[in-house]
Amino acid sequence: MTIFVCGDTLEGILCGVYDAWMSRLGHANVALELEDRGNLRMFSQYRQVEETREKTEKVIDAIRQKAGQEVYEMVFRVSLSREEDKADRIYRFLIYALNLKKAVTDMLQIPAVYEVFRMNRNVGNEAHLLIEFARFSRTREGILVCGVGPKNDVIILMAPHFADRLPGENWIIYDEGRHKAIVHKANQGWIIVHMDLGQWKENRMDSGDQKEFEQLWKVFHQSIAIRERTNYVCQRGHLPLRFRPYMTEFQ
Amino acid sequence: MLIQEQMGLKEKLEILSDAAKYDVACTSSGVDRKGKKGMLGNAVSAGLCHSFAADGRCVSLLKILFTNQCVYDCRYCVNRRSNDVKRASFTPDEVCTLTMEFYRRNYIEGLFLSSGILVSPDYTMDLIFQTLWKLRGEYRFNGYIHVKAIPGADPALIEQVGLLADRMSVNLELPTAEGLKNLAPSKSRTRILAPMRQIQRGIRTQRTEIIPYERGRRFVPAGQSTQMIVGATPENDYQMIKVAEALYQNYDLKRVFYSAFVRVNDDSRLPVLPGGPPLLREHRLYQADWLMRFYGFRADELLTEGQPHFNVLLDPKCDWALRHLDIFPVEVNRADYQTILRVPGIGVKSAKRIVAARRSGVLDFPDLKKMGVVLKRAGYFITCGGRMLSSGKVDQDYITSQLVGEERRKTWDITNKDSYRQLSMFDDGWLSPPPEPQDVRMAVLGQM
Repeated sequence: MTIFVCGDTLEGILCGVYDAWMSRLGHANVALELEDRGNLRMFSQYRQVEETREKTEKVIDAIRQKAGQEVYEMVFRVSLSREEDKADRIYRFLIYALNLKKAVTDMLQIPAVYEVFRMNRNVGNEAHLLIEFARFSRTREGILVCGVGPKNDVIILMAPHFADRLPGENWIIYDEGRHKAIVHKANQGWIIVHMDLGQWKENRMDSGDQKEFEQLWKVFHQSIAIRERTNYVCQRGHLPLRFRPYMTEFQ
Repeated sequence: MLIQEQMGLKEKLEILSDAAKYDVACTSSGVDRKGKKGMLGNAVSAGLCHSFAADGRCVSLLKILFTNQCVYDCRYCVNRRSNDVKRASFTPDEVCTLTMEFYRRNYIEGLFLSSGILVSPDYTMDLIFQTLWKLRGEYRFNGYIHVKAIPGADPALIEQVGLLADRMSVNLELPTAEGLKNLAPSKSRTRILAPMRQIQRGIRTQRTEIIPYERGRRFVPAGQSTQMIVGATPENDYQMIKVAEALYQNYDLKRVFYSAFVRVNDDSRLPVLPGGPPLLREHRLYQADWLMRFYGFRADELLTEGQPHFNVLLDPKCDWALRHLDIFPVEVNRADYQTILRVPGIGVKSAKRIVAARRSGVLDFPDLKKMGVVLKRAGYFITCGGRMLSSGKVDQDYITSQLVGEERRKTWDITNKDSYRQLSMFDDGWLSPPPEPQDVRMAVLGQM
């Protein structure tokens, strides 16, 4: 068994796919693993994957041309997953995808396809929930800042939605676990920045507008519930506890 | 009546959101709209729920009344004229500021504006129009707006409001004209249906127009909805879903909402519900509603005049399937989409996945599980490659007892099925005659 060790990014994984595929060792004799994860396996040879732009582009072109945009988007979302064996799963999936073309996304009876389908759904669902549950607050400089703590690396999936929704605002979505942020400038585009924004909470406006609207929102959230129908289990089902530390109405 | 001249925004919000909470429609779905430069907001057709209140209901829109003063005296309503509650009114600017600032912080998906009737329907509708006009024009809000069309208001006003809003709704409140007469004497069926018809015509005309009426502005793009109160009047479930079906067919409604009656007023004409709001009944109505909108069921298939109430123990789909065991089990690998959709435990998504996946191979039970099929229910109604999941007995009593749940199944088995009975040291035969299987089945199906 030859194990290709790749970085935990879309580029890293796709370069790993390229190296493993082009090594001509046979699909059964190769595996992909992420860097710095888990234990070493016995009787295996480890090879470090070198990331180059050329390899990445070749793989992306191949996926797009042979299997279509939808499969590429699936691979992209799965690469954001928190699961450790995602690199190998993507490799196994691509073996089918490049053969079966577009129809592969429907063939859930194939375990390799199902796994990718499942991870894709998981990442997509979390991104969707965070789009709903993200809460911005104004800082003293007038920037809207939102902290999130997602399991998967989904802030990049949230960015297009908010860029469309709040085009005229300066805003930041900050992933507290990964120390990376989406920074959007008013009426311009957005970028990903790796930085530590640990102090952002202290930077929130503690007076004036922000405080007032936070209060108003809490009042509204309280009074909109019908007392006779109180059902905390239902509430927890829709809005899991792990999101609440980041949400204004539960602070 | 208590009217305070100087009331803070916080207090107003508290009163007017509290007064609006019995309106259940809080969806932000039905329209996809991209953001615009210089404006705030967009709309997503699937709808987004930004929070969930303590009662487990989604908070999607800033749901408020413009005012809770009202000239009407509807018996079920907390804001009726004869109630001694705090009254308040927003100004259009206050509504706009709240919407914009909440929206910017991603608290809400848009505005839901309803109102008590202040002075007259025309006057109130005009206030709502002014608010929306300000919000769209002056504050440059491009998000979702749901607004009430007030029965009795000038059609010209309703049309103007419809061009600014995404969804409009007129509440039917009670499914029959008699119920309405009894509890809401100042409202009438015809007056409620008139604006509904007008909105429907507006949406239809626009669909057939080649050149849009006004560039970039559409009339009620997300369609209209309505709401019925469950349990305030003696109407049965059959009448409710028949009305809902008629509304979907004849008025092109997007949604009919059901609201379990909460007894907020102490009134002799209102029923006393010691068990709290009829939540299970409301739940069953929603299930039936989904079956009618997405699963191709007709109201008459779910209930009949002879059996006008939903089964308490089984959901309407299981109930239907048990009454039609002649068409089951169906073969998952061959049956058409519509048939698969009617199997309990298989939803729209899993039915679509099944139809897509079986093109490339034969499906077995573990595959179905991956596609989201609930085998605990579906297992009794399907075959995979000719095999059934369980022992394969297609028998109404047997499947019913399996479906009504582990807890109840135990007692059922003990009292009914000698063959499935646990051996016991103290088994001394039947001391009291057990109920006939027929009786038990009737009890389970709610026919007693």
